[in-house]
Amino acid sequence: MSELPPGIKLEKEDDKIMTLNVGPQHPGSGHMRIIVKIDGDYIVSCDPDPGYVHRGEEKMAEYRNYITNIPHLERPVIHDSCNILYPYCLGVEEILGLEVPERAKYIRVIASELNRCVYTLYWLAIYGIFLGHSTMFMWPTGDRELLIDLLEKLSGARVTHAYFIPGGVRNDMPANFEDVCIRQINYFEKRIKQYDSIFYSNPILKSRTIKTGVLAQQDAISLGATGSVLRASGVDFDVRKKEPYDVYDNLDFQSNTLKSGDSYARSKIPWLDMLESCRIIRNALEKIPKSGSVRVKLKPNPKAGNVETYKRVESGRGSLGMYIISNGKPEPYRVKISVGSFRNLICLPYLLKGEKLGNMPAVYWSLNYWPVEADR
Amino acid sequence: MSIIAPRFRLGYFIKSLLDNVFWIIILLTLIGIPAIQVVLFFIDLPVIEGELLTPFLALTWLADPSRTLPIIKALMQTDFFKIAVFPGFGFAALLAAGTIFIERKLLAKLQLRVGPFYCGKLEGILQLMGDGLKLISKEIIIPAKADKPIFWAAPLLFVGAAAAFISLIPVSPGWVIADLDVGLLAFFAIIGFFPIITVLASWSANSKFPFIGGIRALHQMVSFEIPLILSLLGIVILTGTLNLSEIVESQSNFPWIIFMPIGAIVFFIAMLAELERIPFDLPEAESEIVAGWLTEFSGMMYGLVQLGSYLKLYAFAAIFVVLFLGGWNGPMIMPQFPQEIITEGIELGPISVTIPGLPLFTPEMINGTFWFTIKTIGVIFFILIPRGVFPRIRIDLLLHIGWYKLIGLAFVNIFISLSLLYSGVLGPGGMM
Amino acid sequence: MSNTQNKSNLNGDVHIHKNTDSNSIDKKEDDRPEFETNLANTLLHNFGEKIKIDFIKKNRIKVNVQKENIVEIAKFISLNMKFDHAEAVTGIDYPEQNEIEVVYHLGSYEDNLSNQILALSTSAIREDDPTPGSDRTKLPSLRNVFYSVEFHERECFEMLGVYFENHPDNRRLLLPEDWADIPPLRKDFKIKGR
Repeated sequence: MSELPPGIKLEKEDDKIMTLNVGPQHPGSGHMRIIVKIDGDYIVSCDPDPGYVHRGEEKMAEYRNYITNIPHLERPVIHDSCNILYPYCLGVEEILGLEVPERAKYIRVIASELNRCVYTLYWLAIYGIFLGHSTMFMWPTGDRELLIDLLEKLSGARVTHAYFIPGGVRNDMPANFEDVCIRQINYFEKRIKQYDSIFYSNPILKSRTIKTGVLAQQDAISLGATGSVLRASGVDFDVRKKEPYDVYDNLDFQSNTLKSGDSYARSKIPWLDMLESCRIIRNALEKIPKSGSVRVKLKPNPKAGNVETYKRVESGRGSLGMYIISNGKPEPYRVKISVGSFRNLICLPYLLKGEKLGNMPAVYWSLNYWPVEADR
Repeated sequence: MSIIAPRFRLGYFIKSLLDNVFWIIILLTLIGIPAIQVVLFFIDLPVIEGELLTPFLALTWLADPSRTLPIIKALMQTDFFKIAVFPGFGFAALLAAGTIFIERKLLAKLQLRVGPFYCGKLEGILQLMGDGLKLISKEIIIPAKADKPIFWAAPLLFVGAAAAFISLIPVSPGWVIADLDVGLLAFFAIIGFFPIITVLASWSANSKFPFIGGIRALHQMVSFEIPLILSLLGIVILTGTLNLSEIVESQSNFPWIIFMPIGAIVFFIAMLAELERIPFDLPEAESEIVAGWLTEFSGMMYGLVQLGSYLKLYAFAAIFVVLFLGGWNGPMIMPQFPQEIITEGIELGPISVTIPGLPLFTPEMINGTFWFTIKTIGVIFFILIPRGVFPRIRIDLLLHIGWYKLIGLAFVNIFISLSLLYSGVLGPGGMM
Repeated sequence: MSNTQNKSNLNGDVHIHKNTDSNSIDKKEDDRPEFETNLANTLLHNFGEKIKIDFIKKNRIKVNVQKENIVEIAKFISLNMKFDHAEAVTGIDYPEQNEIEVVYHLGSYEDNLSNQILALSTSAIREDDPTPGSDRTKLPSLRNVFYSVEFHERECFEMLGVYFENHPDNRRLLLPEDWADIPPLRKDFKIKGR
């Protein structure tokens, strides 16, 4: 056999060790393959192999101008589309020198918090079904409709909103939006508090997830984890608090931190965040200026100078950064999307080594991982 | 644009139908009727009301409902009827089908959905039939490296073992297929088959996920059989018999669950594990091992395994009812039939024929079946409920529950029954 | 690190930056933010000629280093300046300059540094006819300094053909195993129809 290319390795394996191809056509993997080697019921090694739904968003962004990039840059995570467009809009505003109207900033905060809840509910549903809890699949998917209706009122689309544009938002809130929003948010908050009794207090769930896949604080930092994974390990890092963008520094909220760093804590942080999101939305609806424009006038094909910018926001899956390089042309020279899912993926082989195979779904989905976003 | 039958003409269609009818008639007269006669020549026909039931007599009696009735009654006493229809397969399959439908609707209501809704106008009552038809029409795919004879046989064995289970269950007084003196032992013997069938199915598929699922199923079933058996020993100690009908009769005053709640709980939990129901559905945990030992089954092979598992569910629920809840015992709510119906008969039909002896079943039998069915449905309901509430448990926790907790509790149960026996409260020297 | 452990807890004090104009650009040289300038001066003080400050903006610093020095400087940034993780590793193809720039966006979970991003950039030689892994497009890996760059560097390798020496696992990540074209994020890889 000739010399192998550097990407490929051969290894002799013990007969005892069985290699399992979990995914991508596997009910427990999402759009990703995890190559798991097991010895009996214990995982010897785990090699995540993302890329099944790689669409080359970064390459595509180099061929479109700043405005036409919006509808496709939200594709990696359509459930959280406002949050993935947020850093892009912030970055483009910086390099084009746009000043966003105050009302638009509040609308952006409301939309992105609603979107965070929509994403988290979807993720929670999948987390539930992968632990075999079918009710926890159905309840969040049903309650998600409430928020999707709100976002549809706001932007006109149920999931792929394309609502944020550089310099504001696409359109103003409809007339009765504030009342409807408050009403739905109140009901929604009451509803998600019930999840505690059916899911988080469930003894079987606790026995499966507590002390499973523990990520120590030190390791979480050095692995560069972010979002709920990081905060479940006791590191208080929330971009909304640490580097407030738009009007987050005027709003009253706290970032949730748990100390244990196990699967249970990682699954509970997004739920606590949803309760916090309800608070933020109420607060933002109180403080929002009652009138004013929501967008600045853009030139048809805006150009920027030779500048670069790195902006980050807190998305449903952690810090989401966009690195935009402009070289004076209408199209960006390079757009790099640094997503929380991709950064948290490195924790997976670390956490799964030595775990039981039965713990794989509990650990894997507690990473708040969205394969499509990691692939971009 | 696609045209299905471009040359369709009604004349051709009618001609093809007539062709079919012609050939059917020809083949029936040439082959069918001689074959029937040959078969009838060898069959022992029953003697009814002093007359041998010849085919000729049977055909004449068909015209007269009052004379058909004895044939039906004679048929109902045959083993074939018992196995195929009433206490056996037909009754069990009906209850199993009802279980699937109730499970889907109940779970849907619990989860803010509607469940099956469109098929069959009334709340999707025909959904199950649609699913069954779909499964039958699906292609059966066998893995290339599978051990084909065993792989083919596994679903049949599974259904067969589940059906053998049903033959032990006394539904109402006298209505049991196999009234064995060692009924309970036969029950233990049959549940011992399921892990073997599971391992055969998973190993013969020659695939990784079924293999892991099969090993899990083996662990789970074997380790839960022990508390399952131990939890029933208390009843055997107190009743002094292994015959299931006698165990039911011993509960005419009170069901055993009053004295042995611990045994009932242990049996119920072990039953959930044996049935692979949530929270113990590890062998089929879809997020870890696709569908466990069912992964490679397709089409009606999968359908048969599903049928078998629901028959097994019915059988276990029925065994729970028989052993702990008093089986067919219950207050007599069925009124006695008026005497003249039995002796003089009732007027029936537009031509008004008088048929004596029409009630085919005794009131006791109907009453017993009613109570048995009600209790069984109740137990099935409790088996279904955890699916909406619990997530899946992990294999080491499961084995821990089985080996440490349930066996201990089962021994506690045995001590309770022994102390009841020796203190003379119950058992051969006591109230019974 | 132990500093973080003490400070970050559920009710930990969170300092909010009252800077609403975080989007605006600091264009003039003399209103460069003080904290960031100090950080950059620390680097300049220790390494002098080896590093070149690209820009200093609010919360953002970019420094440019040669690839021979990058491991040494990264070690200093990691140990002495408490930047503990990498947020992104971006490869940028510059065919005109005949180089591929790789930018490490380093972040920190320390309380006082958590709003800072330090962009550490270096560049590798670009080959016009790339054979990823066995040509001159090579850079030393920072994986032993920042554990979190492992997957980012793998992605950079497959997307731009930059081979990271001393990286333990230089395999493809996102692209299919049978990808036979040039690395797709190079500028000479054209999308069909564009």
